[in-house]
Order: sequence, then structure tokens, then C-alpha cells
Amino acid sequence: MHFNTGACNACDIEVVAALTPRFDIERFGAIKVGSPRHADILLVTGPVTRESRPRLERIYEQMPEPKAVLAVGACAISGGVFAGCYNVCGGAVNVLPRVDMVVPGCPPKPEAIIDGLIKLLNKLRGRERERR
Amino acid sequence: MSVGDLLGLLVFPGYAFLLAMAFFLEWLDRKVLAKIQDRYGPLRVGPAGLLQPVADFVKLLSKEDIVPRGASRTILTVAPILMVALPLTGLLFVPMDGQRALVAFEGNLIALLFILVATTLLVFLVGWSSANIFAAEGAMRSALQMLSYEIPLALTAICPALLAGSLCVSTIYERQAELGLPFVAFLPPLGAISFLLFLICSLAELERVPFDAPEAETEIVAGWMTELTGRRLALIKLGRNLSFLLMASLMASLYLGDPITPGIPWLAPVAFILKVIACAALMSFARGLVARLRIDQTLRVFWTYMIPASIAVILITKLALALLP
Repeated sequence: MHFNTGACNACDIEVVAALTPRFDIERFGAIKVGSPRHADILLVTGPVTRESRPRLERIYEQMPEPKAVLAVGACAISGGVFAGCYNVCGGAVNVLPRVDMVVPGCPPKPEAIIDGLIKLLNKLRGRERERR
Repeated sequence: MSVGDLLGLLVFPGYAFLLAMAFFLEWLDRKVLAKIQDRYGPLRVGPAGLLQPVADFVKLLSKEDIVPRGASRTILTVAPILMVALPLTGLLFVPMDGQRALVAFEGNLIALLFILVATTLLVFLVGWSSANIFAAEGAMRSALQMLSYEIPLALTAICPALLAGSLCVSTIYERQAELGLPFVAFLPPLGAISFLLFLICSLAELERVPFDAPEAETEIVAGWMTELTGRRLALIKLGRNLSFLLMASLMASLYLGDPITPGIPWLAPVAFILKVIACAALMSFARGLVARLRIDQTLRVFWTYMIPASIAVILITKLALALLP
């Protein structure tokens, strides 16, 4: 599931590009879903604004465990160029209890987003193995 | 009940085979859609991504189970189970191995139509008892849609029954072999029109594009499924795949009989399964090729065109049967 917390849409376009024929993220079995209840991975783009912070937290809480968060773009990591603005609480990293993987860039290329997703999947697989 | 019967019920053409087929059809659906959009579709799990639906199913089974405050736990538990059980029961009426179906009695076509209605009612129940505004909206749309497609679906299904002079799905399939005439080719283009009407009604029944307004993810999140998680969602998705299989195999058995294959023991199941896959692919093509209708447009299409058309097809069929020797 993809949530835009106040991005300039550059990252969003790259995320959408990762779904389209040229990159096709469904090769790895990933599908974009509408409902947080159906989601496994929350993909966050953009700096978290004061307005969107409660919504981001709520969506995160609505997702069923086990879940993971992928922060895409410089803004979602630290607030990017918007860090320190009066209406920005930093990136998703500063707001959510846990961010599992970050993809830096302004905006990151779709290849980078796919790479981040695969690394996240491998990390989750490793975590599962440890639990066993 | 002999060992052979039990094996037939549990393995082929029974439950194990039907479940495998349901997962296969989901894979086919995703692949066809991906190919139309010039993508690859699932690739990584199993050969050519064949096991992706199974992996998704297993993943969903292990997810956290959430029932929102205000939602009915009973209905959200019972409905997903029924949504798997009902199409599984219906699939036993269909001659999956190209010969006599496991459950073949006069009138089981009517029982099948009842099963289809019951599945849609369950959809409404799930949406309504989810205590979510999107789910309720999806449920209302689903009920509205049922009011529109249910009548032409039943009327169109009568057409092959008239031609075969029987209300048993297996008998209808066998009659086509005896007559040497697939009903889709009856009095061209009458049979083809009837097949097309049945196809469109099936798309509406399965809530597939272009009639997927009840779960339009661009406007009402995931429609009536919005609040479902974990096991419940896994079962409902499996149930929807089984319904997909049911409609495709119903289409194959009502319209696509042929004189040659049912006589040959090894060819009969292969031919029937190929027919089912062809029908399923036809429905998947529709998903890639057309846009979604609004719910009011769906209603208008069905009440102004589909119902008169299906009545006309029945009348002409009856007339043709009376006039032709």
C-alpha cells in the first residue's frame, strides 16, 4: 500500500512507474492494494506534515501484523528539503515506530525502489529464519 | 460408497483438483492481464510464477486477524467459510472430467443458480456487517448489481436447457455430444448471442471488470472486502477463485459440448479442462480490455438491453425448436 504524506509527487510518479510495464513490480508478486487491511508493506513518500501525521499513524495501526514500512525518497527519510519547516514533523522515520528499509533519492529511480523492496523482502525472510 | 467414489470426490475431479484449478485460474488471470498490459506478471514463485497464488494464500493465513469494533464476528467468520463451500458444492454438479458429473440430478442447474444467488447474498452480509462505510457502500452496490444480472443470467441459462430438454448440467453437456452440435453454434448466430449474454452476466456475477463497481478500488478502497484480514480474506479470495472456476466450467458445459471427445476416456477430461481455461481466459481478456461501468450504468445496461435480449433469445429458441424437426 502506498501513502503520500505530503510529497511533491515526484516520488509518487516513480513509484507508479515501478508498477508499469517497463519495471513491473508484480514479477516479484507485489501488488498495490487500496485497503490497509490487505497490505503487508506500507510505502511512504514525502515529508510527514502535521496534517497527515495522525492519518499515517492510523493507517500504520490498521495494517495487520506482520507488517513492514518502506520509506521512499529523501523527504520520507528525514524531511528532505522540507526538514525544519513549521508544518513538517520530519520524515516517516521520525514518526512511525519502525521503518524497515529506506530508499534514498530525490526522487529515487524505479530500479532503486524495486531494489529496496527486494532487500526488504530478503530482510523479512531473514527475520523469519531467526524466529525459527 | 466405494473407494473409487471417495477418490473421485477428494482427488479428481473432486476437491483437490478443484482447489488446484482455482489457484491456477488466478495465476492465469494475472498472467493474461499482465500480457495485455505488456508486463511479465508473477515470475518468481515456482515455474513462471505458477505458485504465486498459493504463496499469497499461505501468507494471508499467517497474517493478524482483525475484527473491527462494531463488526459482527459471527458473520465475518461464517461467511468466508460458506463462500468457499458453496462454489465447491456447485462445482460437483459440473462434469469436470468431461463425463458424468459427481452429483448429477435433474434440476441441478436450478440448484446452481441458487448457489450463485446465495454467494452474492453472503457478499452483502459481509459488507454490511463490517461496520465500515466503504464496505457498506460496496455491499449496497453488490446487491443492486444482483438485482440487475440475476434475471438475465437465469433466463439465458434456460436456453441450453431448452435445447437439451433437461435441467441437469451433465445431461446438457452429453446432449450436445449426442446431437453433434455445441449449443454455441445452434442456429447461428442465436447460440453465439446466448453465449455472449451468459458471458456478460457471468462477468457481473463474478464482479469482474467492467462490472466491478462493488469493489472499485479507485473510489471505495476495496468495496465490501475492505475490513477483511488474514484467514478471512484468504478464504474469500479462494472462494472468488472457485466462483470464477464455477462460471467458466458452467459456460464450457452449457455451450461448448462437442461430439468427439466425450467418447474417448483420456481425452474427455483434457478437452473439458481446456474449454474451461479458454472461457476463463475470455473473462480475463475482458478485464484488460474494457473500463469499469458506474453502478447506475450497469443497472441501465442490464434492464434496458440484457433482459429483453435474453427473453428474445428464449422465445426464438422455443420457436426454432417448434418449427425445426
